Order: sequence, then C-alpha cells, then structure tokens
Amino acid sequence: MSSGEIRAENLIKRYGEFTAVDGVSFSVKSGEIFGFLGPNGAGKSTTVKMLTTLALPTAGRGLVGGYDVMTQAGDVRRIAGVALQEIGLDNLMKSTELLTIQGQLFGMTRRQAQDRAAELLALVKLTEFTDRPVGKYSGGMRRRLDLAMALVHQPEILFLDEPTTGLDPASRRDIWAEVRRLNRDFGMTIFLTTQYLEEADELADRIAIIDRAQIRVEGQPAELKAALGSESINVTFREDLDVQRAQDQVVEMFDRVQIDRKTIRLYRNKAAEIIPAVVNRLSGAGLEPVALTLTTPTLDDVFLQVTGARFEEDAKDEAPKAGGRPGRRGFGQRKSA
Amino acid sequence: MAAITTTRAGVAGAPVERTPFLLQVSMMAWRTLITNIRVPGVILPPLIISGFFLLVYNSTLSGAANFFLRGQSYLGFILPLSVVSAALSGASVAGQSIVRDIENGYFDKLMLTPVNRAALLLGPMIAGAILLAMQTLVVVAMALLLGLQPETGALGLLAVIGIALLLGVGFSGFTVGIALRTGNAAATSGASFLFFPLSFLTATFVPYDLLTGWIQTAAFVNPITYILDAMRTILNIGWDGEIILRGVGSCLALGIVLFIWAYTGLRARTKRK
Repeated sequence: MSSGEIRAENLIKRYGEFTAVDGVSFSVKSGEIFGFLGPNGAGKSTTVKMLTTLALPTAGRGLVGGYDVMTQAGDVRRIAGVALQEIGLDNLMKSTELLTIQGQLFGMTRRQAQDRAAELLALVKLTEFTDRPVGKYSGGMRRRLDLAMALVHQPEILFLDEPTTGLDPASRRDIWAEVRRLNRDFGMTIFLTTQYLEEADELADRIAIIDRAQIRVEGQPAELKAALGSESINVTFREDLDVQRAQDQVVEMFDRVQIDRKTIRLYRNKAAEIIPAVVNRLSGAGLEPVALTLTTPTLDDVFLQVTGARFEEDAKDEAPKAGGRPGRRGFGQRKSA
Repeated sequence: MAAITTTRAGVAGAPVERTPFLLQVSMMAWRTLITNIRVPGVILPPLIISGFFLLVYNSTLSGAANFFLRGQSYLGFILPLSVVSAALSGASVAGQSIVRDIENGYFDKLMLTPVNRAALLLGPMIAGAILLAMQTLVVVAMALLLGLQPETGALGLLAVIGIALLLGVGFSGFTVGIALRTGNAAATSGASFLFFPLSFLTATFVPYDLLTGWIQTAAFVNPITYILDAMRTILNIGWDGEIILRGVGSCLALGIVLFIWAYTGLRARTKRK
C-alpha cells in the first residue's frame, strides 16, 4: 500500500569533500503541492535525484509513497513520475513513439500505451505536432512533452525539477495551469523545485527554502509571510552614506531595519500610517530619498530574513549589513542561466 | 513483516505487470534502428568506405597478387577485408546510439522506468547487428557484380556474412563499453579507431605466410587474421573445417571479452552513486 506522501529524514549527499545536501528533512502530505525553493546550486536537484532513485543518499532516509528510496527503488519508480531539470528526450524520435515506449516499459500493452500517448498529448496540447521529430520542438513544447513522459504510468506523486526554468512567461503559465490541474483533478502530490519565488508563491501549498545545502525555513507561503508580521517602508538613496544616516534618524520608530545596498527597509505593523513622520525626519536631516515604496511581505522578504541575503540580488555591490553574511557572491546572477 | 519487506524489495521479480524481457530488448532495438535510419550520416560512411576499399583494392592490386594467389580470385581474397571493415566500422552504431541517449538525458529517463538494464545494452547491439548485416549484404552484392564466384556458392556467402555479423556484434561491445564508461561522443567515436590496428596489423593485403618480422607477430596475435583466413578459405578454396572453426572461435573469443567489457560498463553506468 502506498500513499501520496514524501518524507525526507536527515538526507545527506556528499560528493567527495563537497556536501551538496546537508541533513535535509521535510514531509509532504498526500495531495499537496510542495515548493522546494532555493537559488542555483542550493541542493534542490540533488535532493530530487535522491528521492527519485537516481542518486544514492550518503546518509539519511527518503520515503516516497511509503517506499524507501534506497531499498525499494523499483516501487518508488512505479508510483512516482519525474521530470528532471535536464529534459530527457530523444530528439530523433516522435512524441507518440517516445510515449508509447515509456508506457510499454511500465507494463502496458502496445495498444494501451498508444491510447495513453494520445490522451497525454491532448492533455499537454501537442496533438497536432505528432509528425514532427522532438528535436524540432520549441523549449515550451519540449517541457510539456517531458511532463507528459512523467505522467505515462499515472503516478501518484510527481517530481518536477525546475519545470519552468528557461521558459518564456506564456509557456511558464501553461505549465503552472497544468500543475494545478494535475493536482486538482487527480489529487496528485506534486514536489516542485524552483528558483522563482513567484512560482513557489503562485503554486505551492507549502514551501521549504533551501540554501547552501540546508533547509532554512518550511511552511505555508502565507504563514511565512505573516510571520514576518510587518509591512515595510523601503527608502532608496543615491549614496550608501545616506542610508547609514537615515538609519540613525528613524531606527527607533521601527521593529526591524534592514539595509540592502542603497535601500533601507523599515519594518513595523501599520507602517503606512507613519510614512509622513518618516519623511519629516529624513528631510529634517537633509536627506533626499530617490524612491519610497510601501510593501507587504513577500517570499523574497522571507528568504532575506532566513538567509540574510536577498534572493535575486546582484551580490557584487551588496553593501555590508547587519545580520548579513559575507561570501555570498553573486549567486543571484546565475538565476536564469 | 520481514517476509512482506522482502517481496517488496525484491522488485527484480516484482508483483507489477512487467514487460517481457525480449519485448523490452526488441523495443530498444527498434528505436535504435529508426533513429539511425533517420540520420543517414551514421550508416552511409561505413558503407561507402567498405565499397571503396573493395573497388580500389580490386582494381589496383589484383594484377600484382597473381603470384601468391596462384589462380585464386583476388576478389575472393580482398572481399573479406571489405566485409571485416564494414563489420568493424558498423559496430560503432551501438556505441554512438547509447552515447547519444546519455548526452541528451534520455538514458536517465529510461533509468526511471522498470526497464531491464540489460535491454539497454542488448537493444542497441542488436540494432547495430541488423544495420551491419545490411551493409555486409550490400558489399557482398557489389563483389558479385564485380564478378565474384565463390567456391562454396551461396551458402559460402551466407557463412561469410554470418562470421561478419558475429565479429560486428562482438566488436560493438567495445564501442558500447566506451560509451557507457565515458558518456562522451568524441571518446566513443575515437574508440572506433581501434579498427585500424585490428584490420591493418594482419594479413590485410597478402596471405599470412608472406608477412615477416614484427607485423607477422602482430598478425599472429590479432584475431582478425584468423577471421580473414576463414572467410578467404570459404570464398576461394572450400569448406575447411579447421580454418573456419578457428575463425569463428576468434570471433567468439573477441566477442565474449568485449561483451564483458560492455556489461561491466553498464553496471558502472547504472549503479546508483
């Protein structure tokens, strides 16, 4: 008997000296969309590879649908569908051929596999492109076919490793719609890794943020954002020096202050109400902001709070800041590489 | 409880409906065939090279060869070289197909299915053999057009093709082994160059007895020498059991060693790390 649950218990993966995944634990409930969010190289793909039986954990335990990924790999493969970050398609073959082989390998008869292929091609809207070799497909079409390949054997659990990386916004929205539909109509548990905060926010019931091989926080996006509690007033200046002076002026008015390059973020409840007071203080000190915005917390703020760095920033001109860690050079730059 | 765990873990003989092994192999062979046929660049060059060898050697060397062939057909002497070169170069198809799958990620996709790992190896090797048989047929047909009259008739030609097939399948184990170990297309096509010492450090243009010095030593240890000898004997002399057996034995010995090489490569590639 299997369930749609996924559990990672202190998963560790080392490659020689390098620790790619360092004691990751989480659990995904049946029928949930779980977002595994983190920058490039954080350990997302390695975690997926361990859970989908492509890589062996150095230590720890992974349970997928109740099956142990180390000792029951065959069962895991039977109930889990996987679309890896690197699309795995033979460019010289056609979509129906690929899907039919996949179906037959999962024990269907040729006839069943062909019917299933037709069904899936309709599902991912590729029916009219069956005559074309896969090598001639666009990036979005390849992603959709790869997704169809993962669905051939009607998995209870679906692993999607960065399913929208490199896609244009329209194709990205297509994939999102598909993911939601699979989850809603078939009750499929979906484990989705992404380096897009927006994607996690949009799709996931719950998320875990992984950074530098470790999970920093786990919870529902709304709950995580609410935990930050406060709105923030963000004031941007021309000079770094002004940011420091501004901090001295207004720090006492807020619960928390964070400096991010030339912007100072001031957190407290009902921040909107004290905007006039802030502006007065700043102009009284002769400081002229170039921009002032008010934001409610986003996942980016959650990320900033748990890792001490902004998710998508260019770390090169990152100013030293309270609570920030050194040595996080440029991870945001490779965002869409 | 322990018993239940054992049945579950014993996925090799899983409770799930499994595709029969031979069907898996034929599916893997079929897809290797169609993908190779869709890229004529893979099949045509070896065929052209073999045909070229046959034509050029036959027209340039046949006169000079009279002194050692004592009336035997030079075409019958040189055709085996063409057939062997077709077999050796055609054998790279299997390795190239596997390396392509590894590079485009499809191999990983297959690894996520309950496919029998051995089918991933045998499928491309069998597809390679079918392509190779077709190539050999074309080369033999060319020789017939040039006027070849084998001593052993049509049966002899079949025997020559059969030996070539045996050699080709065996040698494909070599390219497959490289493909699985390196996962690299350049290394895999580079490995096909082993074809050169194998087909030239042997009784390539003259009989073994006329070789001297180091090249005779090289030819002595080269299994191709015995394979060529068997084919030539069939075409020009007749059914000589001992020579043919030695040729077939050489194919088998080479094939077994290279199959082990390929199989250990598969184990290394598919082992979870």
